[in-house]
Formats: sequence, structure tokens, C-alpha cells
Amino acid sequence: MQDIILVQNLNHTYGEKPALKDFSLSVATGELHGLIGPDSAGKTTLMRILCGLLPIQTGEGEVLGLNLKTDYKAIRAQLGYMPQRFSLYQDLSVQENLMFFARLFSVPASERDKRMPELYAFSRLDAFKTRKAGALSGGMKQKLALSCALIHRPELLILDEPTYGVDPVSRQEFWQMLKSIQKEGTSILVSTPYMEEAELCDKVSLMLNGNLMASDTPSDIISKWDKSVYRLSADNLKEMENKLCSFEGIDSCQLFGHELHLVMDKTTAEDTVKALQSKFVHTGFTLEKVKPGMEDIYLSYMQSSAIEEQFDA
Amino acid sequence: MHRISLKVVMTFIKKEFRQMSRTPAMIFLVLVAPLIQLMILGFTVTNEVKHVKLFIEDRDNTHTSQMLSRSFTSTDRFDLIQNTQNLKPNVLISDWKAQLIVTIPRGFAKELALGRKPALQIMVDGLDGNSAAVALSYAQGIIALFINSELNIPYKYPVNAAILKAMPAQADVQDRMWYNADLNSAQYMVPGIVVILVTIISMMVAAMSLVKEKEIGTLEQLMVTPVRKSELLLGKLIPYWLISLFEINFVMLAAHFIFNIHFAGSPITLGFMAAIYLLTTLGMGILISTMTNTQQQAMFFAWFMMVFLLLLSGLFVPIQNMPLSIKRLTLLNPMSYFMTITREIVIKGNGLKYLWKEALALFVYGIGIFTISVIKFRKVTK
Repeated sequence: MQDIILVQNLNHTYGEKPALKDFSLSVATGELHGLIGPDSAGKTTLMRILCGLLPIQTGEGEVLGLNLKTDYKAIRAQLGYMPQRFSLYQDLSVQENLMFFARLFSVPASERDKRMPELYAFSRLDAFKTRKAGALSGGMKQKLALSCALIHRPELLILDEPTYGVDPVSRQEFWQMLKSIQKEGTSILVSTPYMEEAELCDKVSLMLNGNLMASDTPSDIISKWDKSVYRLSADNLKEMENKLCSFEGIDSCQLFGHELHLVMDKTTAEDTVKALQSKFVHTGFTLEKVKPGMEDIYLSYMQSSAIEEQFDA
Repeated sequence: MHRISLKVVMTFIKKEFRQMSRTPAMIFLVLVAPLIQLMILGFTVTNEVKHVKLFIEDRDNTHTSQMLSRSFTSTDRFDLIQNTQNLKPNVLISDWKAQLIVTIPRGFAKELALGRKPALQIMVDGLDGNSAAVALSYAQGIIALFINSELNIPYKYPVNAAILKAMPAQADVQDRMWYNADLNSAQYMVPGIVVILVTIISMMVAAMSLVKEKEIGTLEQLMVTPVRKSELLLGKLIPYWLISLFEINFVMLAAHFIFNIHFAGSPITLGFMAAIYLLTTLGMGILISTMTNTQQQAMFFAWFMMVFLLLLSGLFVPIQNMPLSIKRLTLLNPMSYFMTITREIVIKGNGLKYLWKEALALFVYGIGIFTISVIKFRKVTK
């Protein structure tokens, strides 16, 4: 299948500060692709480049089979973009906002009249047609923004942290909407800071400091990871954490509520566990191997990159 | 290749008017604020000197000197005050009790009867130089009139006539004010105020409306639609262009009823010139929007520019009265041309025939600034 997004060796800096470092990524047509990364990972920069809002500094890029450097105007006509911040007219009503964007995208009136009820039904905004956008709740605002981005039936939808700061119920609804949009044939690139949302994507790309750490299906990212995770529970968890984090063979340890996740290399994990048990034999604790989650992987990447940075400094 | 879509431009215009109609501050700014400004500036910014506090120190105390005193009270230029506390003249002035003191010397009537021109002393509070000079000249006028008429009464007598002839020949000045016969300062100020209002509305409001799109992120959202920048700018600016033209007519009409302003020239010529002038101010509005990120910054910037435009426009001080170096600076100020044009049209009824130089300057500025700002806008928003 042809790639709907293909970027190679993108470098982007803001003054001295690098935002993307030799970044390459491909997204297949029809895919729901998640971009996962902390703030300042470069997600927004990448998305803005893909929309033609930022010029490519170095590297190559194609969106919808069109060159980003020369055809960004043609790309815009077939693309739906929803920026991180709510960017619609707060003093216009739901309906007026939709009509406005329909006209800007030159959606024919007959097509628009068919499209709008569909969007209302799907976003459940029909009861709020006449309400000013500024008076909508956070979740409804995002649904309206999504509807506006969909009014012209784009082939590709780019969403920058659409569920950030939205309540869990609305988030769930929002993802259901994304799934149904995908079924209609629209490819989607969505960024999110929430790990549990990553697992709802066909593929995810982990971004950190402008680098691509991994890009694969969620299950493959987990199975291909070369680390094992052990769960440790103990009474004096805080104390254990300090001791264990510097323990030979343990890459990183993360506090998850009332337990500690220990990350170690798959190859040496069993030896490390044995050594651990013999050293802390007098301390009461339980240790068991668990299936790593996206969050374990992500946090482990973050920790090792933080260590590298310290090392570089 | 690409054509500007009228439909898209109309979509923007409709949106802009719809948003404005929902912003009470906007309605106030367009309809109420100009009226308030017109009233305040029209009534207060005036060169007319009226009700000057005058004290007459009559040391002569004769029938003639009292007649002179009385002749000061026959106009509303002077308010006669009494010196009940017997203060010295200089104290009267320093205490703000009097602005003008006329001292009639002892023997005034006698001198006059002899056909001589008696000397009088006039003291003026020169704090406000312009008003002081005007008040002084009014006072001198009244005194001269009085003395001349007193000397003319005994004209029948040869003695006095001979003395009169011996006095330096005086040209008989007959003054007649053109264009503004009763020196109504509103007639002069109001056209200037109209220019200011139109400049503010077009420059500031256009800048703020563009920056607002930037501030709330809609500009970015618009940039990822197929909308062309020319369509966006046209759609955003035409509403303010229309409103500013409406504003001129609205304020002129209001001025007609409030200040009895007489519109001597052709409203069509003025409208035409305003349409050209607005290219400059709207262009400056775009320029401000490219240099700022929030409405507050834009407002600050617009005011900063307004002050320079205003001071060098000739609203308060006629450009002809400015020092040469500053006079040259006003050539850089598009507002000064429009100020001149508006006054010439409204007050004198002059047509383009006499104003083509200013009109040409406005045209050059309009096209120049508008082009530069559009180029800058295109560069800043990708």
C-alpha cells in the first residue's frame, strides 16, 4: 500500500534549539497512526511541517503523494488539520463555524447539506447547533473542531493532541469517532500524551527529543522490545526504590502506584533477579515477571535518554 | 492561474459583520464613541477666546473712563471682575483671579479731551500664549475703537482734526473672514476630528481584527484551508473599509446637527479621497498585525503610531505654523494630506482641481503602504 505520509531525514531547528533530528517516518494509507511523546518531543513541529505551516529546513517530505516543498497548497485542500489549541470562532455558533469552513473548502451546497447532518449525528452536536462555540464544553469543542476538519471529506486527518485536557468519557467517544472515520477510508495521524490511547492505534511512533525511538504496531513494539519487566511489591517501597535503581543489571525502575516496575535486559534478566533475591533476602518483598505495557517502554526510553544527556553533559 | 473567489471573500465579509454585530464593544466603537469624541473635541478643542477674566483698574474714574470700562462688557469675550480685596494687579494674575488687567491712568479723560492719544497699560497672563495674544488683541481693539470714536466726536472741531492728521497715517483695516464668517472653531475642528476617527477605526480595528485571528489560532486554521491570502485580506478589510466610509458620513451628519457645520464641498469627492486614504490606514493596520501577536500589543502599537500621525497632522497646530524642519516631517505623514483635503473640501468647498497635489500624495502613500504590508503579511504567514 502506498504511504500517505513519507518524510525522510527531516531536520528542524528553532534558532539553536533542535526540534527534529534526522527524522524519518512513513504512514500507510488508511492507517490510524499515533504519535507518542512528551512535550517538546517534536510532535507539533512534525505535524505543522506536514500541513505546510512550517517550511522544510532540510530533508524530504511527501503527503498524499505530493511534494511538501512544492505542492503544499494542493495538499491543504485534501487535508484536515486540528491544532492543539481550539482554533475556531468562539463567537460563531456551531452551525456557523461548520458553514464557514464548508465555504472555505468550496464544498458544494448539495454536498454540504448531506454532510452536515452526518457530522451532527456522529458528533452528537445537533442539539447545540445554535450554541456559540465558546460556550461549549471542552469535549464538545473538540468534537466541533473535528467536524470542521472533516467537512470537506479529507483523505488525511492530522490531529494534534485532540484529547488533551478532555474528560475520560469524552476521550473515549472521541476515539470511537476516530475509528469510524478511519472505516470510511480516511487516514489519520494523531498525537497524544496518553499511553492507553497509543494502544488504540494501528501503529504508533514513539518520539523523544526530535528522534524516532520506535515505529510499529503496539503489539510489535511490545514484543520486539529487548527488555523484561518485573513487578515488585514491598512494604518499604520508597527505600527499595533507592537501593534498586542503582542495582547492577537494572536499567530503570518506575513507581506505578503501590508497586515498582523494574526494567532489565531480556538476556540477563534471570541472573539479575537471582542476584536481587539473594541480596535482599531478609527484606520482605514479592517479585514477578509481567507483560510490559506501552508506558514501561516509553518511560524506559525517557530515562535512558535522560541518562545519556547527563553523560553528554 | 489562480483567481480570487468572490464567494470566499463574501464568506469572510459576512463572518466579519456577524462577529462585529455580536461584539457590543465594536458597536460602541463604531457608533457611540465617535459621537462622544466629536462632542468633546468639538466643544473643547477651540481657539476661540471667550470669557476672559478682566479687571479694569480705573485710576481716572471719570465719565469717559467708565464708558471705556463699559465697552468691555458689551461682548462675551470678557468677564469683568471686581477687586474687592484690593489686591495688587500682579497678585490678581498670579492668583488666577484675572487673566487680563487694563489700567486706565489718571488724566485719561483729560488727555482724550485734548485730542491726544492717552497711554493705557495692559497686563496679560501669558501662560497660555495663544489665548493671551488673542485676548490682548481683543482688548487693544476695544480700546482703539473707543479712543478713535472719542476722537471722532470732536472731529467737528478743527483743533482735533489737525491733531488727528498729525498722527501717523493709519490704514483702515476692514476685515472679513472667509469660509468661516463667525470664526466658529467647530467648523475648523470637526473635519479634523472626522479624519482622526476614520484613521482610528480603520487602522486600529483592522489591525486588532487580524491579530485576533492570530491570537486565538484561527489564522493558522485558515492557513491550512485552500483560502488564498488575498482572499483573506480582502474579506477582512472590506468590512472595515465600508465601516470607515460610513463613519465619515455618519459623523459629518452628526456634526451638521450638533455644531451646525456647513458642508461646502462635494461629499462624493470627499468619499473618493477617503477611499484612497483608507488604503494607507488599512495597510498600516495589516503592518501592525504582522509585527504583533496579541490584541494588546496591536493596540499599543496603533496608539504609538496615532500620536505621531496626530501631532504631525496639523489638527491642533496648522502645518504652516510649524518650524521648517517639522514642516518637512509632515510630508511623511499621510494623515496630514487627508486632513488638508478634508478641510479644504468641507470648509472651502474646493474640488480636486486645487487638491491634486495632496490627492496624488495620498494615492502614492496608499498604494505604497498597502503593497508593502501585503507583501509583509504574505511573508509572515506561510
